[in-house]
Amino acid sequence: MASTLSEWKSKSVTVLTCDGRLISGTLRGYDQLQNLVLQKSHEVVYSVDSPPERIELGLFVVRGDNVAVISDGEIGIAKGVGGDDDDDDGGGGIRAEPIGEIAGNR
Amino acid sequence: MIRVLYLTRSSLRFIQLFYSFFKTLVGKEIAVELKNDVVLTGTLHSVDQYLNIKLTTVNVVNRERYPQLTVLKNCFIRGSVVRYVQINPGDVDTELLQDATRKENSPPVGGKASEAKK
Repeated sequence: MASTLSEWKSKSVTVLTCDGRLISGTLRGYDQLQNLVLQKSHEVVYSVDSPPERIELGLFVVRGDNVAVISDGEIGIAKGVGGDDDDDDGGGGIRAEPIGEIAGNR
Repeated sequence: MIRVLYLTRSSLRFIQLFYSFFKTLVGKEIAVELKNDVVLTGTLHSVDQYLNIKLTTVNVVNRERYPQLTVLKNCFIRGSVVRYVQINPGDVDTELLQDATRKENSPPVGGKASEAKK
């Protein structure tokens, strides 16, 4: 019944943060405040006029206050710097406006 | 000091009420609007005391605006970022809920109510 993150431990997750970023990585640790430890993490930056860009972040700790949504699975864009626009692996060619900030979080 | 304790206890009970309420909605289809205007619909999988919500079979309502969120399938939503939870009216027993809120907010016996009578 309780909503815990236990079933996603050691799995790939994607985190939507309060400032609207999407960060994917392997969930290595968490606590009841949703402080997260993400291993081999990367951010995917979407914009309207260029293909999504993948930025490697490595080991990342996200403070629970800044977490909005945690989802299983990761954003599948091609590895390497910058996603190429021609692949059809789902996340690849998407162009999108940035997601808004969570209002009144600060 | 006692007053503070009472306040925290009553607000805790109030949270418990909505926690219990959301527990009755597990398995139902709900829409969760976040404070950044993103609306996620899905089946309520679980809820906890902070009203963190877990959804399965998630869909983004404004899909064309947020195509990058279509990767969300099962997700955990932090209670603090939720603005609204939209519920199918058929899934709510409003009378039961109203009774429960009345009970929660009625002053304890020998408290303010009996003072008011005097």
